Amino acid sequence: MKLARYTGPIERLGESVLAYVRATVELIGLFFSTMAGVVRGGRPRGEVVHQMYVIGNRSLIFVAVTLGFIGMVMIYQACLQFTKVTGDFSQVGVQFIRLIVSDFAPTLCGMMLATRVGAGIAAEIGSMKVTEQVDALRMSGVLPVDYLIVPRFLASVVMTVVLSVVGGAIMWIAGGLTAQYSFHVNPALFYDMSLVRPIHLAMGLVKALSYGMAIPVVSGFCGLRAKGSSEGVGWATTSAVIGSSFAVIVLDFFWSMLGFLFFGASL
Amino acid sequence: MSLIEFRSIAKAFGGKPVLRGMDLAVEKGEVLFIIGTSGVGKSVTIKHLIGLLRVDAGEIWFDGQRIDQLDEKAFWPVRRRIGMVFQSSTLFDSMTLTENVALPLRKHKKMRMGAACDEARRRLGEVYMTDFADRFPAELSDGMRKRAAIARTLALDPEVVLFDEPTTGLDPVNARRIDRLTRELADHRGVTVIVVSHDLTSIFTIADRIAFLYQGAVRAIGTPAELRASSDEVVQQFIRGLSSGPMETPGF
Amino acid sequence: MSRGRISGRVLEGIESIGGAALAIAREAGGMVLLLGKVIRALFPPSMDARELVRNLHKMGNRSVPIVVLTAFFAGALMVLQSAPFVQRLGATGLAGWAAGYAVLREIGPILIALMFSGRVGANNTAELGTMTVTEQLDGLRALSIDPIKYLVVPRVIAMMVMLVALTAIGDLVALLGASLIAKIVLGIEYSTMYHSFADNLSPHDFLQGIYKSLVFGGAIAVSSCYFGVSVKGGAVGVGRAVNAAVVAAAVSIMLLDFFLTYMNI
Repeated sequence: MKLARYTGPIERLGESVLAYVRATVELIGLFFSTMAGVVRGGRPRGEVVHQMYVIGNRSLIFVAVTLGFIGMVMIYQACLQFTKVTGDFSQVGVQFIRLIVSDFAPTLCGMMLATRVGAGIAAEIGSMKVTEQVDALRMSGVLPVDYLIVPRFLASVVMTVVLSVVGGAIMWIAGGLTAQYSFHVNPALFYDMSLVRPIHLAMGLVKALSYGMAIPVVSGFCGLRAKGSSEGVGWATTSAVIGSSFAVIVLDFFWSMLGFLFFGASL
Repeated sequence: MSLIEFRSIAKAFGGKPVLRGMDLAVEKGEVLFIIGTSGVGKSVTIKHLIGLLRVDAGEIWFDGQRIDQLDEKAFWPVRRRIGMVFQSSTLFDSMTLTENVALPLRKHKKMRMGAACDEARRRLGEVYMTDFADRFPAELSDGMRKRAAIARTLALDPEVVLFDEPTTGLDPVNARRIDRLTRELADHRGVTVIVVSHDLTSIFTIADRIAFLYQGAVRAIGTPAELRASSDEVVQQFIRGLSSGPMETPGF
Repeated sequence: MSRGRISGRVLEGIESIGGAALAIAREAGGMVLLLGKVIRALFPPSMDARELVRNLHKMGNRSVPIVVLTAFFAGALMVLQSAPFVQRLGATGLAGWAAGYAVLREIGPILIALMFSGRVGANNTAELGTMTVTEQLDGLRALSIDPIKYLVVPRVIAMMVMLVALTAIGDLVALLGASLIAKIVLGIEYSTMYHSFADNLSPHDFLQGIYKSLVFGGAIAVSSCYFGVSVKGGAVGVGRAVNAAVVAAAVSIMLLDFFLTYMNI
């Protein structure tokens, strides 16, 4: 039957869409479970602080270096364009800091953390899953969500905000240095925060918080689904990095869109 | 001169010595078993022959040529003459058995894919695996994977074949099948076979000579009958499989 | 706290920084060595054609959906960021220029490279890592087949080619996404955006982005293969290797972007 030739690929597409939908539903379920777990307690003592150390300490240099370099590149490209168009650099600094606060710092930091922290969490939890330590936890009457994911969740929320602030500061300074030494922009002119308003701070904070929540949930989810042996852990880590990065991008779009729709040109 | 000679080999891992003053000569066409307790250095010994490990001191001679000082590139020709069947079979997961066996044929005998696959199937037949030629390694049992790995190693018609614990983990029937294949290699094809094992049945069924490794050196070497009659109490403890005796095993 | 304890802590801190620096130097050195081996294996070109084709197919297939989606959102975000500015000044003709320039030169290559690293790079490290752990790499060596020539080189070539292709496609999709959002949110007509792109962006801008993606592809490939073949220690080791590979790739991308930007004007 001719129809059979077409239903094959369609079936497969349908199956994979269903699988994604099912996974998304489970993911949302995990998120609510995590929130409930925050209230429930049942996490090991000092684990949250330990995770904050793991996430914060280990990612600090990484975030600082990457955001610093991006800041330099951005200012370089922007000043190049300004030279061609207006030759007037007065706007570069003020617009840059506005964008850093409301978007660049949290989002770029989020992307970097999605990579580092996402991979780390998925690798850790995934290894535990394939060596049956997660099952062992359940046997001892402990909910894996409470024990494994909630501490990382809380730590990530805090650390993402902290690292965004640090990263943003470094971006700003690095950009200013580039403007000063490559385009002779007066530092006093560049480091001008007059355009930054509470709404920008709120946007940045909301974004950083949402990324901090999304990354551990997505990565923990992928880690808990790891199957098999080393191959399964590798696959879990891959999915976690992609899933977390994509979540950051989608959330950024979502918040930016909301912000623009409600506050329009005053943003 | 023997086909293979180990002279005063020393090898340590992370400060802990594994081989100390090991001497061993392997004659052409024989089936030699290297036996000993776990961790005594049996696998380490044979891995030196194909350059996966390098000695800390001593010399290794193969067919009149010194091979312990060769760099990676110079080892390629040696590896075509000495093949190794690993303990974990190391078949490539992403290929069928036929493609696995065809790989060395394509690379070294410059065969095209079609001709290589035909030859691969023939060789799989020699190890009685033709029915499974188009399956993937993950779908097969340990014994079947072992046989396919042997076929792949034999594809280059090596003069020497090294087996790293070929029967460990196999059920008795499959273990005896592997033993039979091993014996046929030496008898019908003149291949020199070195087997690392602690399977006593294999050892006393098919070995021409046995080298007993203990505390980093060869403590006893001889035919199975000679070893059975040995007056060395450490040797006797091993071949009788006794849990207590003069043998020093860490932890007990 | 006594003075002894404080200086003890400081020493610990310095030691750990030194240790970390040494570790980074060692990995970086290892990657450079691997790159050297790969380049040497290319002259004369002797790679396994089947492996090359298989990897091209696998890597391309896997990453098209995620790259397309990401690019779309990236383009849309660029427009959203410049939207307040554009609306206030009424400079609708500039929206395309701002979004387009950023996408073609920076955001496109970087973001797509990051996603590629996460999808294909991480996967590659996991595959090679699993092969290393299960001794399949040693098995290749025992068969007198060079793992570098047979496994690594085809993957490096495939990744570089694929990333360039994906960046080209992604750039296009990003511009489409930008136009869509410009229409929906700012009410800018498609034709206005199109003219804004055509008037302000040159093939040079596009090509500069592509050169970057070629270099990024090489960096991602070398880092992912290096960490894959140097895995130690089972499932945990593979997870750690993937982690390291992805981080190394991200840092390399940022550093290389910096140098490339300064070099091409």
